[in-house]
Amino acid sequence: MLRVENLTKVYKNGEIEVEALRGVSFEVKTGEMLAIMGPSGSGKSTLMHLLGCLDTPTGGRYILDGNDVSNLKEDQLAEIRNKYIGFVFQQFNLLSRTSVLHNVEVPLIYNGVRKRERREIAKEMLEKVGLGERLHHNTNEISGGQKQRVAIARALVNNPSLLLADEPTGNLDSRTEKEIMEIFLQLHQQGHTIILVTHEKSIARYAQRIIYLVDGRISREEVVRDAV
Amino acid sequence: MLFETIKIALRSLFNNKMRTFLSMLGIIIGVGAVIAVISIAVSSREQVTSSISQMGSNLITISPGFRRGRFGGFGSSADNIFTMELGESIVNYCPAVKAVAPNNQTSGYLIAAENNYRVNIVGTTIDYLEINNYSVASGKFFSQYDLDNATDVMVLGSELAEELFGRQSPLGNKITFYYNNQRLVFKIIGVMEEKGMGITGNLNGSAYIPISTYLNKISGSRHIDSFFAQANSSEEAKLAVSQIDYLLFKYTGDRNEYRLMSQDQLLDTINQVTVTMTLMLSGIAGISLLVGGIGIMNIMLVSVTERTREIGIRKALGAKRKHILSQFIVEALTLSSIGGIIGIFIGYFIAYGVANMGGWVLVISLPTVLLAFGFSLIVGLFFGIYPAFKASKLDPVIALSYE
Repeated sequence: MLRVENLTKVYKNGEIEVEALRGVSFEVKTGEMLAIMGPSGSGKSTLMHLLGCLDTPTGGRYILDGNDVSNLKEDQLAEIRNKYIGFVFQQFNLLSRTSVLHNVEVPLIYNGVRKRERREIAKEMLEKVGLGERLHHNTNEISGGQKQRVAIARALVNNPSLLLADEPTGNLDSRTEKEIMEIFLQLHQQGHTIILVTHEKSIARYAQRIIYLVDGRISREEVVRDAV
Repeated sequence: MLFETIKIALRSLFNNKMRTFLSMLGIIIGVGAVIAVISIAVSSREQVTSSISQMGSNLITISPGFRRGRFGGFGSSADNIFTMELGESIVNYCPAVKAVAPNNQTSGYLIAAENNYRVNIVGTTIDYLEINNYSVASGKFFSQYDLDNATDVMVLGSELAEELFGRQSPLGNKITFYYNNQRLVFKIIGVMEEKGMGITGNLNGSAYIPISTYLNKISGSRHIDSFFAQANSSEEAKLAVSQIDYLLFKYTGDRNEYRLMSQDQLLDTINQVTVTMTLMLSGIAGISLLVGGIGIMNIMLVSVTERTREIGIRKALGAKRKHILSQFIVEALTLSSIGGIIGIFIGYFIAYGVANMGGWVLVISLPTVLLAFGFSLIVGLFFGIYPAFKASKLDPVIALSYE
């Protein structure tokens, strides 16, 4: 489903070059739930950006759903993000002062889905994450857990190949954390491919497999449990 | 997609009402000023020209030119031929001229009871009325008998009658004209109707006496200051001018010795002046539109910075450069077009108020409105493109981590 081969990323800051990734290779199968762990500075954010097609690698290849996306142009990447990737961020990253429903509709707008259909899909997704009652609330009127549910609904709405979650529970209390992770587990059971980027062992343990990243390289892999 | 973009833009403008209003303010003032200035200029010109043509476009003034002083002598007015006889010759030898009236003027004080008033005394003939399309409101104008005998009678302009006698009728009263330490007493026999301003000056503030009385008792010479001539029709006005010109050239042999001026020429001059004024004022108003545009750019740049994260989110969710670009351009266009519409209304109300005070008919020209609106759109587009371009170029990774 997803394969990275010898992925490198070098940031240039004037004369100084920083090697954030120094050759990372791994594979993720369809329906798999993978966690990427590592301390800060390990290159896990960089890897997340590359996997999310927000950025292109300096070297190596990234095959997503059979397409090589390592050298695409900005607008082509935007299209890949729109159709193949669903993001869930630590900061929720919802549009403020707009309704929950509209937030979930945004990826559909950029995908050119017509209004009526858009409404229906967005409502359906919000009901799926248990927010069917809050469609018309503003995003600043709901709790953190609810915000993250909105973000998950938004990530799923274009039926992406990959769900990419970056510290999805970093801003939540432990009770809400459990709720959100339960949703991810459910999605995994429904066959979604999920990558969790985190530095918390307790979150990573929801995945089947954990990749440990240190200094821009994979230090080890751990299989937590077998595929569902 | 465009519809969605407009909706997104409107939503974000609506979410920041105060900022939206402030950034529109420049455009509102600019467009308002353009509309107001042009409407006021056009309306006032209409007013002036209509009051001039009300006096008849077939009016021609004939006055002496000026001679240059040479060999130590002083320059003097070529007035030796400007006598009553010239007026008669013009009527006799210029077929396109219907009537001629002399127009001698001097200023002095009219004294009636305790009131006195500085006025123009006009010495003329009966033809003056027809030429100026002018008539008596009460009493009567002086007659051929008064002209032949140089009687001491006077007809007052409407404004003068009101200033000197208020609501009382001045008819039959004696009035003293004080001029160069001389006192002349006249009997008031009539009051003229109210009349607009024209080539002949403010008729309402003048007093009229027979030309013979004027020449005998006031100027003490045979000299006529100027003549008013009336062409048979406005179509023949140009012909009349050339006939008079021909005659005067024969008498004097020098085009510098006399001046001819028709109502048409005056209208042309006035039009030129108002066009120049309008252009100048519109230029100033245009500058304020430009400043308004810079204001929009300023706010849009702030808005782009402030919404860096939003742009990052939209890009992460699949917005292409064109989506972000069009979102911000539509925002700028919306700002400038709403500002333009409000400006049109404000400009209209200002022009309406001024026209009301001036007692004119308000003329709003559609091309002006469209021009001002179009210009505000262009300003919005022009100054919106740079911030929109800046927004569309943001790197999603950097934009997403922007606090």
